[in-house]
Amino acid sequence: MNLAEGIRFVCTILLSVMMIGAALGVVLFENIVYSAFTLAGVFMSIAGLYILLNADFVSAAQVLVYVGAVNVLILFAIMLVNKREDFKPVPRRWVRKGSAALVCAGVFALLATMVVKTSWPTDLSLVPPVSAVELIGEHFFSDYLLPFEIASILLLMALVGAIVIARRESIVGEETALVGETPPPVLELPERPREPVA
Amino acid sequence: MFALSGYEYLLGFLILCSLVPALALSASKVLRPSNRGPERRTTYESGMEPVGGAWIQFNIRYYMFALVFVVFDVETVFLYPWAVAFHKLGVLGFVEALIFIAILIVGLVYAWRKGALEWS
Repeated sequence: MNLAEGIRFVCTILLSVMMIGAALGVVLFENIVYSAFTLAGVFMSIAGLYILLNADFVSAAQVLVYVGAVNVLILFAIMLVNKREDFKPVPRRWVRKGSAALVCAGVFALLATMVVKTSWPTDLSLVPPVSAVELIGEHFFSDYLLPFEIASILLLMALVGAIVIARRESIVGEETALVGETPPPVLELPERPREPVA
Repeated sequence: MFALSGYEYLLGFLILCSLVPALALSASKVLRPSNRGPERRTTYESGMEPVGGAWIQFNIRYYMFALVFVVFDVETVFLYPWAVAFHKLGVLGFVEALIFIAILIVGLVYAWRKGALEWS
């Protein structure tokens, strides 16, 4: 084992320990906000593993999409519905623990068989000689130009759709307030009064 | 064959980033006067008296900002390869990226017009 392999081995061990520790934190923390933050730690460790596997674009996308977008949305969702709910636990402790263990073992078995059964490409000649990000950029602006531009339209649709749905929620909130039920907490996002076009 | 070449700067940044909070906290520990009053235990709120708990339900308005942020965050993923390969793509690539950004600006203008970014 030379120096490069040694560095790589140590980094892999460190990142794996970080990932497993953070994942345990996600599961074991009672406070869901702490779970969300440790989930960010899991995602960051996965990004580090991608760098070790020479997949730098996947790593950047992992940081941007999972840590930047998905985790932020999870945190916002938690902050928006952060109410103490006193759910009644299912009676009989062994039923709860047993069903959770069954589901977890099932998911683990599924993923483990997938990892073992898949024939992973180990041919090093498939690794591109230049940076993958540069190759992706060149493809985006030559033969994959249309999908690239369609992606922006997809993002536009997502943005407009999210705004429409979020505002419709607010209208529903106003209607229930009109009926005279218990008024919901501040949920409105009123439409801005339109200025008359001169 | 592979010794994480090209990631020296990332490593430097990681070391620097982990040093900054440690240095900031230890420097303030050295410099600050030691005071054991009850005031010391309150949250620092820019000189305001902190009111209520921090674990509250936040206003739904924040969610609109999060949604707009997420869309432009995903846009960054698409623009990153463009920035790396910029010197090879030429003027045509620049125009294509401008079209890509322009389509998304439409969404920003829509959000703006619908008042999703207002804080009234």
